[in-house]
Amino acid sequence: MGSIGGVRLFSSVVAVLSLLLAGAIVLVAEQPSGQKPRGSQPTKAQAAAATPPSAYVGDDATCLTCHDTQSYKGTTHARAFNERTPAAKHGCESCHGPGKAHVDAGGDKTKIINLKTLPPQQASETCTTCHDRAKHALWNGSQHDQRNVGCVTCHSVHSPKGEPLLKAQDQMALCSTCHRPIVNKQFRLNHMPVREGKLACSSCHNVHGTSNVKLLKAGTTIDESCTSCHAEKRGPYLWEHAPVTESCTTCHDPHGSNNPRLLVARPPFLCQRCHVTSRHPPTVYDGFVLQNSSNANKIYGRSCVVCHQQIHGSNAPSGKALLR
Amino acid sequence: MPRRLILGAGVLLLLSRVVMAQTGQKPPVQPPAAPGPTVPSFGSIDFGFRGTGTDIDRAQYERYRDLRNGAASRFLYRKETPSYFVDASAFNVGYRDQQYKLRYDRSKLNFGFLWDSIPTNYSYMSVSPWAVSDTGVLTISSALRQQVQNRTAVGVPCAPGAPPAACGNPTQAAAALANRSIYNQGLSGFDLQLRRDTAAIALNYAATPSVGVNFGFSSASKTGHQPWGASFAFNNANEVPLPIDHRTNDINAGVEWTNQKGMVRLAWDGSFFDNQITTLTWDNPIRATDFNNGLAPPNGPYDPSGYSNGNGPAQGRMALFPNNSMNVVSAMGLYKMPRRTSVNGTLQFTNQSQNDPLIPWTINPLIAQPSVYAIFPHLAQLPRSTADAEVKGLNALVNLNSRPFRRVAFNVRYRYNDRDVQTPTFDATEYVRFDAVPEEVEEGFSHQFDINRQTFDATATYSLNRWGGVRVGYGHDAYERHGRGFSDVGDNIFRLTYDAFANQYVTLRAGYEASRRRGSGFIESGVDYEGVGGTQPSLRYYDEADRNRYRTSLTFSVMPTETVSVNFTLTDGRDSYPEDEFTPGRDQFGLLDADTTAFAVGVNVLPRPQVSFGATYGYETYDALQRSRNAAPQPSPEWFDATRNWTMDNKEKVNTFTLYADFLKAIKRTDIRFVYDFMDSDNAYVHGGPRIQQLDTNTSVTGTSCPTGVSDCFIALPNLTTNWNRFTADVKYFFRSDVGIGFAYWYERLNVRDFATIDANGSVGFNAETGSVRTDYLGGLITGYNPRDYRGNTAFVRLLYLF
Repeated sequence: MGSIGGVRLFSSVVAVLSLLLAGAIVLVAEQPSGQKPRGSQPTKAQAAAATPPSAYVGDDATCLTCHDTQSYKGTTHARAFNERTPAAKHGCESCHGPGKAHVDAGGDKTKIINLKTLPPQQASETCTTCHDRAKHALWNGSQHDQRNVGCVTCHSVHSPKGEPLLKAQDQMALCSTCHRPIVNKQFRLNHMPVREGKLACSSCHNVHGTSNVKLLKAGTTIDESCTSCHAEKRGPYLWEHAPVTESCTTCHDPHGSNNPRLLVARPPFLCQRCHVTSRHPPTVYDGFVLQNSSNANKIYGRSCVVCHQQIHGSNAPSGKALLR
Repeated sequence: MPRRLILGAGVLLLLSRVVMAQTGQKPPVQPPAAPGPTVPSFGSIDFGFRGTGTDIDRAQYERYRDLRNGAASRFLYRKETPSYFVDASAFNVGYRDQQYKLRYDRSKLNFGFLWDSIPTNYSYMSVSPWAVSDTGVLTISSALRQQVQNRTAVGVPCAPGAPPAACGNPTQAAAALANRSIYNQGLSGFDLQLRRDTAAIALNYAATPSVGVNFGFSSASKTGHQPWGASFAFNNANEVPLPIDHRTNDINAGVEWTNQKGMVRLAWDGSFFDNQITTLTWDNPIRATDFNNGLAPPNGPYDPSGYSNGNGPAQGRMALFPNNSMNVVSAMGLYKMPRRTSVNGTLQFTNQSQNDPLIPWTINPLIAQPSVYAIFPHLAQLPRSTADAEVKGLNALVNLNSRPFRRVAFNVRYRYNDRDVQTPTFDATEYVRFDAVPEEVEEGFSHQFDINRQTFDATATYSLNRWGGVRVGYGHDAYERHGRGFSDVGDNIFRLTYDAFANQYVTLRAGYEASRRRGSGFIESGVDYEGVGGTQPSLRYYDEADRNRYRTSLTFSVMPTETVSVNFTLTDGRDSYPEDEFTPGRDQFGLLDADTTAFAVGVNVLPRPQVSFGATYGYETYDALQRSRNAAPQPSPEWFDATRNWTMDNKEKVNTFTLYADFLKAIKRTDIRFVYDFMDSDNAYVHGGPRIQQLDTNTSVTGTSCPTGVSDCFIALPNLTTNWNRFTADVKYFFRSDVGIGFAYWYERLNVRDFATIDANGSVGFNAETGSVRTDYLGGLITGYNPRDYRGNTAFVRLLYLF
């Protein structure tokens, strides 16, 4: 896609394909109910709806006779006053399927659904029978779903250690299972207050799928996600700084940094990665300057942004160089 | 626009299908409901006293906390009945980090409330010659300013009687360092800190089993002071305590309709930012009166060089964060089809706007006058009185996910994101720099940084049954920009992953990703052309430049026994920015490459249900190379002189170690928890290249030689090092099942060596940073908020009561 025409052609082709895709979906879905596509299988929800009541035990106490350590008592799922919970529906059998055959067969493991033994994606299908709205709506095809990280990879319905039904005490501990290098950045001097318990991974990310990149839950771009809290930097400004409109992460590492203000490198060297104009931007700022020149002020303290303080954008008429 | 229509039509078509699917819906067969669980209720009172002791930099110790001596509290209450559930908590009541939560659930209603205070403590040792104020006006003693202006006192930052900007050589600099400026007199310290207070409510109502409505409101205020740059000239950099007082109100409302076929959600999100301090006016520390040379424009009455030597105004004024709003209307849909196939998508329309009144070009009355307007007619009035800034956004996502066969799955994803700047171009071809000098510039128009991003991504997964799954993916990101270097950029991405998931005792995840980003439409010019903003033409902005990227990752965990787990994580990545075809034979500038490698290994042991312990060690390296050229602009030959090139190699190494041990009732009636973590980093900034050799040997042939008598005018910067230790111990002993006593101890120690930190006792951070702040240094007046070494201890004694 090496030209404007190429990009437009690409975008147009993809847009048309999307339209065709949506149309195809409608057509496929519009088939009369009696015509099942070849090879189609009912989902668990459909199967549950088609299952006669006689297939259910209908009593959690029966299940607990053998599975006495597998209660979900005291958890969200057990709140029967909410008609959407398993407790208000089929109890244990809401997730594990009709269990009468399993009971009648003396506990035959092949006659009951055990989510632990299913591949994660299949196990998730059971959960998404109910959890398919709000923040879970975009789970299918999300980054974690694609990598076979399923609901039960992170959550435990029966023996959670943290909320909400997490397998670990908190989100940092849980997410570090796979994202340890990212979580370790919390141990750097400059970090968001996650270690202090004021924020969590889910303050910024919705791990169940989002319409933003990087599973960010707010906004539609990285910038919009960051400015959902840092609204003072949202603008739009009279004078914008190009990389700010592109992505905050061009300059900041939100997970932690030993550089001030979560910067990916220390100014002035960070700024010098792009500002190679004449005179002061590409000056060599070394120890000699630091000790022997009034230009030391471009190295110590806030460095470049002592003068260019409106680095995120300026609303002053004379702010073109982000100085006012 | 046609693409927007097509996309909108596509997503709406999808949504319409889901709505249609609601028709004819039958209630599912309802077997007898499970019996209600027993009613758990729980409450705890954790109340006692806390004492804190710190050396030197207490603010860093309690960066986001409030650990003052006094009461320490944590209250929990939870009750569940057959008809409702309530969960309430309070933490550190009455302090700057207090938090209150409430959750209340009934059959159809969920209600949540949050009050949360988060302090950000920069420094309790800050000083400033500007009087700390809660308004947008910062003043300094006029008498002191007059003495500096008259050269009758030690100035800023130079020796007594010297022009402020003249300390550009070692002799004068030494004099400046030896003579603290007049502004070191009478300084009073202040706490440089902010606090964010957030109040939020959330309401979910299940109108029917299929229909849900949600509403949320939050209001977050931010008050206090933060360090802020406020300069009048290149050589006189000032840092002031900027007063902060603003509030953001966020509202969201949505309705969703769900059934077994899918869901539809319509929502609105509004965010409104209100700043009480939209401008800052502050005194110039080196001018008590506006500089006036008595000449007529364009040679006066201002000093045409005032932006570099400090001969500027007595006061400056700048615009601060403008009031602004953002509204998002969105639709989301999910539709489930046969063959384990589903499609979901969103369509979001965003509007951001800001229309604050514009401040004048300058408040310097010697510039804002008719005689200057005769030379700079554009300055007579603003092109418009308000910002009139607006950005429209469109975001669409369509995601098709299918597992039609037992072993095969695929996913196709398309995302369209458009940022369309509506702000009219602002003409500042004549403007006022630093409130000191009117100027006419060629590139004086504001840019509209439009960005259009499109992502197409397709992956296929083949299951190897119990041996996991292999996934192959291809993605293409297309960017179309206005106002940047590259107008069009395409990024082709290939990825291969392997995930073993079938065995609960062994998990292996491995991934490889390679991408190749290429742009076109860059400043198509001859080699003599200067780039955007007067840059070297072969500069590449690394956020859009041609790039080759590789990423590998490996996560391996194994549980050799039921009580032991070992995990290992490795990530390795490289970004390189190759030379392009547009400026052949020219040295390329900017970031050339960046490498990151990190690994971590950890072990967790659970020998008994009451005992668990574990440790993790992590190591990360970061290496980034950039190239620059220190040269005067054309027609100077320096502009093309490769001997003025220099490089900067940033090498960082970070060690991280964590250790924990929990003994929960391992000893009768006693809970014990220990946590220790450690971080150590070494960050080097290593200069290289011919320009550095010149400076190092003083054999410069084209540049300015070292000052007279100095044979080596290059001194390598020392490495930045950070060493941070934290240890916590928490012991609870219960006399009865419901009454106990708790002891806790926290310890932290930070050692930091940072050349950017001004040492209290005179020199710059080549030595330990201890003692009180020196507000003046070469060319600047600062607040001195940067981190220093500290050691902090906090001890808690609490009574515990469970009910």
